[in-house]
Amino acid sequence: MGIVFTRLFSSLFGNKEARILVLGLDNAGKTTILYRLQMGEVVSTIPTIGFNVETVQYNNIKFQVWDLGGQTSIRPYWRCYFPNTQAIIYVVDSSDTDRLVVAKEEFHAILEEEELKGAVVLLFANKQDLPGALDDAAVTEALELHKIKNRQWSIFKTSAIKGEGLFEGLDWLSNTLKSGGG
Amino acid sequence: MFSLFYGLWKYMLSKTEFHVLILGIDKAGKTTLLEKLKAQYSNSEGLPPDRIVPTVGLNIGRVEASNTKLVFWDLGGQPGLRSIWEKYYEEAHAVIYVIDAACPSRFEDSKSALEKVLRHEDLQGAPLLVIANKQDLDDAVSAEELAQYLDLKKLDERVYTFQAVSAIDGLGIKESVNWLVDSMERSKRTDLLRVRAGSSVV
Repeated sequence: MGIVFTRLFSSLFGNKEARILVLGLDNAGKTTILYRLQMGEVVSTIPTIGFNVETVQYNNIKFQVWDLGGQTSIRPYWRCYFPNTQAIIYVVDSSDTDRLVVAKEEFHAILEEEELKGAVVLLFANKQDLPGALDDAAVTEALELHKIKNRQWSIFKTSAIKGEGLFEGLDWLSNTLKSGGG
Repeated sequence: MFSLFYGLWKYMLSKTEFHVLILGIDKAGKTTLLEKLKAQYSNSEGLPPDRIVPTVGLNIGRVEASNTKLVFWDLGGQPGLRSIWEKYYEEAHAVIYVIDAACPSRFEDSKSALEKVLRHEDLQGAPLLVIANKQDLDDAVSAEELAQYLDLKKLDERVYTFQAVSAIDGLGIKESVNWLVDSMERSKRTDLLRVRAGSSVV
């Protein structure tokens, strides 16, 4: 019963809910981003085994954000979370140029997933605070984003530590989800 | 393998789908145009202009007009992002090039970016619609004035037109779409793309 009222309430006040997956290689900064978005603070994190999930309310959208562990051995479990996902935030460590190829391969494998066909894609070129970090155009190139032709995507330079770029990304995401998505 | 046959199946049953690239330098109004197109030709509301942020990536609009399916690809126009435009050329049936007609100080930048687009061999024969956008502003120049200013050379073999548009109030949108559909249907490039798509399936 309570649920019914909650739903009614949120539909009256225009709140939309969206399920967002935060994916990316290990050490890309997914968990730091999640808590930066949720609490506005930098928390010290340890490698995620399993997942963290938090709700972030922004622009009248309630983002249910799932941060899934990024280590090689646990990446196969990502797909358990794919159904009903409206958007993917793919986080890249822009300073880890050695692993950009791996990041690219994982990314395009995700895009192939049938259950994620309708999801829009937001990329965070993270760790812009580190020396040698590639900018958005270079990460776009390295990840071969131009191969995406049937869904909307956008990339933002972010620094989770400094809190830069994250909410600009969420602005894009909420606009895109409101105007009907991919 | 399955996807191959599925692709072929879909290809044979579907109406022609035209891919239209929306290009132009930053702040020309490409995304606002896209949202207006979506609002006029599909049931979606389209994003209000004040909520539109600079595009760093790809926005897509799918609409149906004159019994054809149109897919619009709107790409970011900031200098660093223009390098990915050409990755989309090969599959594009036509190009819309948007220019802020009320901002003469950037006409030169617009012109050189456009000339670069037109030189690219992957876009050979693609119909070109140049949009003199922001006609809702008082100081916007007309489509003719803009054409004169750009003074595009080497266009003789390309089908093209200039159109005055306001992506805010919708002026000129219908004319633009009608012209595009008409030109793409007659374009040799459309046949070329069809053949190429066909041979990649078989």
